[in-house]
Amino acid sequence: MRVVLKDLVKRFANSDRAAVNKINLVIEAGELAVLLGPSGCGKTTTLRMIAGLEQPDSGRITIAERDITNLAPKDRGLAMVFQNFSMYPTMNVYDNIAFPLHAVKMKRGEIDGAVREMARLVNIDHLLGRSVRQVSGGEAQRVALARAMVRRPQVFLMDEPLSNLDAKLRVQLRTEIKRLHQDTGATFIFVTHDQEEAMTLGDKIIVMKDGDIQQVGSPHEVFFAPRNAFVANFVGTPSMNMLHGTVSRGESGGFRLQLPGFDLSLPERFNRGLENMTGSRVIWGIRPEAIKLMPEPGENCVSGEVELVEALGSRDLIFVRVVEQLFGVIVDALESVAVGDTCHLHFAAGQMRLFDADSERSLLPNSL
Amino acid sequence: MRVPRSERILAYVILIVMAILVLVPVLAGSVTAFKPQIIWVSSPPTWIFEPTLENFEFVFFTRKGWLFLRNSLIISIGSVVMALILGVPAAYAFARFRFRSSKALMQWLISLRMIPPIVVGLPFYAMFLYLERGLGIGLRDTFPGLIITYQTFLLPLVIWMMRGYFAELPAAMEESAMVEGYTRLGALWRVVLPVVWPGIVATAILNFIFAWNEFFLALILAGNRTSTLPMSAGTYIVRTRVEWGNLFSVNLIIMAPIIVLTIILRRQLVKGLTFGILE
Ligand SMILES: Nc1ncnc2c1ncn2[C@@H]1O[C@H](COP(=O)(O)OP(=O)(O)O)[C@@H](O)[C@H]1O
Ligand SMILES: [Mg+2]
Repeated sequence: MRVVLKDLVKRFANSDRAAVNKINLVIEAGELAVLLGPSGCGKTTTLRMIAGLEQPDSGRITIAERDITNLAPKDRGLAMVFQNFSMYPTMNVYDNIAFPLHAVKMKRGEIDGAVREMARLVNIDHLLGRSVRQVSGGEAQRVALARAMVRRPQVFLMDEPLSNLDAKLRVQLRTEIKRLHQDTGATFIFVTHDQEEAMTLGDKIIVMKDGDIQQVGSPHEVFFAPRNAFVANFVGTPSMNMLHGTVSRGESGGFRLQLPGFDLSLPERFNRGLENMTGSRVIWGIRPEAIKLMPEPGENCVSGEVELVEALGSRDLIFVRVVEQLFGVIVDALESVAVGDTCHLHFAAGQMRLFDADSERSLLPNSL
Repeated sequence: MRVPRSERILAYVILIVMAILVLVPVLAGSVTAFKPQIIWVSSPPTWIFEPTLENFEFVFFTRKGWLFLRNSLIISIGSVVMALILGVPAAYAFARFRFRSSKALMQWLISLRMIPPIVVGLPFYAMFLYLERGLGIGLRDTFPGLIITYQTFLLPLVIWMMRGYFAELPAAMEESAMVEGYTRLGALWRVVLPVVWPGIVATAILNFIFAWNEFFLALILAGNRTSTLPMSAGTYIVRTRVEWGNLFSVNLIIMAPIIVLTIILRRQLVKGLTFGILE
């Protein structure tokens, strides 16, 4: 079912700024939408307002065109998985999964069928008789998933359900959530502060900061066409290299960029965005993957010394000092770069980003 | 956790010394309850004698001890039930919601625990008198009157203890149930109460003990119809003499339910008072 948030505002007492600041958002039926943003940006508050656990100060929430803004949580027909809570401690696994069905006064036989089916779906059918003390963190989180799904909700809310699990389990459950989404066809709204989790899970990513939505788009869009410097910096690990610089006119009609210690010619696609910006301050960004090591210095190329090497497996993340700036660069581990080496960095013109230094907005027309 | 042997021995020594200090007077007195009247106050004390129940028979039947026992039970159980019915939901509200002056209210509640009973007893007496004369509502020397008065001391204890138990639980527990189709009250009943049950038992026992032992308020506000066991104990100490054997048999009757309750429910009591930390 389609979930629509309209001008949603939530302000907590004893706080001067809004936790959620008049956000508008449409999540299509059957979509897996991910709310992504740093801690404290209002993701949980947004989710809790959708669930009815928090009352918005103003704005409307509709699910499948039905206004649910003032409905009690139990009447909204959705399910939620919480970050810090998974199992009712006085019930065993079976009773946990059956719990939501008792609320709708389902018959015992039907309950049994539904519980076993859900347990099978999340691979905990062998745990049904266990108590809270006898299941691991990952298993408890599966119980929470099964309990949430057992009523076959059309809208599924998840607040960082994987953040308390170890890395391997997290990746595994992530895949299972993706599969559950495909199997059920329900609308999923998933909250995380982990951009990698967001990228791998989401059909649509909603990047938030300080109670505002920064960008809504596919994982591809938020990665390759960030609307502002915050999104560019937050999405992608290792994060984008960013430098302040000044725009100037080049001899051949193009634009150039003065950066601390070196300058670059900017590709033509920036010409429109920079029309009236000669002399202005901008933020220039380039991802570590878009920097190449060259054997010789050349055009759009700067030289520096390697200060740090981090192994990432098949690739290394090296940090190269160019004047004041430390550039993160992804290189093939087999190139065996060592601390102290001199490198010549070449910046892929097609992957440079420019942002207005004041508004931090992208200076590219809205396209990839 | 392994405790070194030497520390365990030390702990036992301290506990045994404390137990002796506390228990010997109680036991020596309790023995008197089973002595025939002629050796109540023999000097030196008689330790070898044929135990008799005549003191119990005397206080229980001749001096209407069964009536005082009944009154004490009605008042204590009634006060605890009322304090739980009012206090548990209040404690939940204090744990989960912030409302105007909720903090100040909590502090006021704890201050109620600190005032001596006499500060409460006399105003209650005056209030009951006015109610009786003005509105014809008689609360003096009635069970409801005492049960209401005892709330002054029981309610704060219930609220303070239970608020602690509720605050320990993640709010997501009942919120999860609310999303899954229950009202907040339904969630409280089906999800939260089963978890805090040991806490409720511990709270009930502590409150029962307070109400059961209470003497002063009963002295002021109870009368012939509602006299409690502790009040009846006082009648065995008169100006000219103390009826030791009778007094100690009443004492044993007073102590018995507390000892039995504590033994039966000691696991829940420890769990409730420590919130499972010692499990
Ligand atoms: N119950 C609350 N009372 C007061 N402030 C709150 C409450 N819940 C959240 N906030 C504040 O609202 C902001 C958004 O919080 P939250 O939605 O939990 O962020 P996120 O889930 O993105 O980490 C934060 O500044 C947080 O401190
Ligand atoms: Mg959160």
